[in-house]
Amino acid sequence: MSRTRRDPREEREARRLAGGARPRWRLDAPPVSGRLRRDPRREAEAARVAGAARLRLDRAGRSAPVARAAEMAAMAAPTVRLVEDPAFLVAVVPDAPGGRLTPLDRQLIGAARSLADAGGGAVLVVTFGAVEGLGAAGADRGVALSEAAGGDPSARVTTLAGVLATLEPRHMLFPESAAGGDLARRLAARTGEGLFTGTETLTARLATRPAGNRRIEQRGTPPRLVALAPDAHLPHAGIPHEARVLDAPDIAPASPHAAILSVEDLPVAAEALPLAEADFVVSAGNGVSDFEMFRALARALGATPGASRMVCDAGLMPRAAQVGASGTVLEASCYVALGISGAPQHLQGVARCEHVVAVNTDLHAAMVERAGLAIIADAQQVMPALIALLKAEVEQ
Amino acid sequence: MKALVLISDGRHPVSGRPAPAATELQAIALARGLAEAVAGLHAGPDAAAARTALGHGLARLEHRHLPDGHDPLPSLIAAITAEAPNLLLAGRRAGAGAQTGVLPYRLAEALGWPLVPDVVALTVTDDVLEAIQALPKGARRRWRVKLPALVTVHPAAPAAPGFALGMARNGHLDPVPGIAAELDGPALDERPYRPRPRLIASAAAGASAAERLKAATQAAGPGGRVMVDPAPEEAAQAILDHLRALGVLKPAS
Repeated sequence: MSRTRRDPREEREARRLAGGARPRWRLDAPPVSGRLRRDPRREAEAARVAGAARLRLDRAGRSAPVARAAEMAAMAAPTVRLVEDPAFLVAVVPDAPGGRLTPLDRQLIGAARSLADAGGGAVLVVTFGAVEGLGAAGADRGVALSEAAGGDPSARVTTLAGVLATLEPRHMLFPESAAGGDLARRLAARTGEGLFTGTETLTARLATRPAGNRRIEQRGTPPRLVALAPDAHLPHAGIPHEARVLDAPDIAPASPHAAILSVEDLPVAAEALPLAEADFVVSAGNGVSDFEMFRALARALGATPGASRMVCDAGLMPRAAQVGASGTVLEASCYVALGISGAPQHLQGVARCEHVVAVNTDLHAAMVERAGLAIIADAQQVMPALIALLKAEVEQ
Repeated sequence: MKALVLISDGRHPVSGRPAPAATELQAIALARGLAEAVAGLHAGPDAAAARTALGHGLARLEHRHLPDGHDPLPSLIAAITAEAPNLLLAGRRAGAGAQTGVLPYRLAEALGWPLVPDVVALTVTDDVLEAIQALPKGARRRWRVKLPALVTVHPAAPAAPGFALGMARNGHLDPVPGIAAELDGPALDERPYRPRPRLIASAAAGASAAERLKAATQAAGPGGRVMVDPAPEEAAQAILDHLRALGVLKPAS
């Protein structure tokens, strides 16, 4: 290999600035050699994606047009999606206790959404009584049927059989929960329709379910009635749907089964409930010193008492009341933490709780960050105020 | 008072060997609290697992013999009309097979009897059955039903007595030919079970890795409200209002 040899003296002579008493050279000019020099800093700056929260570099040089397209799409996106003329209906019967959708109900509407979107259909939510938040969950239509008196599900079954006959949905989805699974099986027995229970994957063509003590997987095209297992489908995450209210179809009111004399809910003895079953837990940590008052508060709220590891180790609460990785992992919907800072092992026990309320003196505690409502105060002083307030309400 | 317990041809969930389902044994224990001699009923090709239920307190087991893959419903109805029990008990799910839990419902519909699901306690007074149903989150529901009725038993019911060899040898098995009934409809395709990951609802599809990490470690929903150093009364009012807005506490009357 041979290349022309550089002569540094000659190169410097070429840069000499004319004039002046002493010799001066232009040094900012690019070198005379034929090879191009790269400035990596300038290239990185040019590839930076604008608008991203953290540093993102687009080396392919597509960033600018893509970003502009995303902006345009955001400007043109509709706020509510309408399905005007659906090819078919996918009906959903959520549990919706107390007029609120449960997480499983949202997953159910999400599954119905993907079944409907696959063939240009619409999601119809059939509820007993009014239910809020149907549009955000992905429902196109809603029918609120009148609630039959008493807790007897056989009257509901007659109404749902009427909905199946009049509105003719392609599928009717139920949650595989205690109430929803019972209703689905009653309806399948009444109408003679096929029912796919405990469904773990669901598409328009294929549904699978475990069988034989979870050793066998059964697969087939989904029949008209489907009961969906928890956490089998993601809830709808896109833009809200219309949830247009339809008139309830004209169905003859059903009389309950003649042999059923009464059905009544018994009051829950929250104090004696095992923590794993409890729905509402009040828990005490190191910030609580008066445990008689804590138990009185739990009684007044109608909550199951729990405790952190510190308190159980000190023998102030029984070991069965411990919440966390080495105690009980809760399934409660609401958790009130009194004087608990929130160690990672404790937060594991609270991970599945939907709502958390924290009372703690430390603003920077992990539990305060986790909580939906955080009170930065001494739990020892908030507890008597809560008891007094509840007592005053009862007296009124 | 005559009680009949439906026994399935169960398999042990771990070893896969013939064993009766746990809730069916609990049903035998519940029925023995109401009636002296409790009979069992099984319809299917094989009664190896149902026979062991004799050792858990059944006096007699009737086996309606059916070819494999046939619908047991007509045979069961024939046996029940012949036996004429007041109370029919079944487990929540069968111990093997498809385990859909639909059979008790079809049976109740065919017989025209009321069905009480997920029962944990039973009492009978003057031909009226009082059953306590177990609901999630520790809730209980009381049903008062005129007999005859069908109940399914929840795992939270009292534990079944253990196996006694003497009882198993004293109890006797009646083999009776069943009514052949082909199942209509396409058979489902079967393959070995593959557990699927549970989908985490808060991680939206298509979210970036940073967003999924945030969803997994932080609370879902809008950012929490923080009250710094409120008066105790103000804090108590805020907590009660928040709990009422969530629907956890009943509204003040």
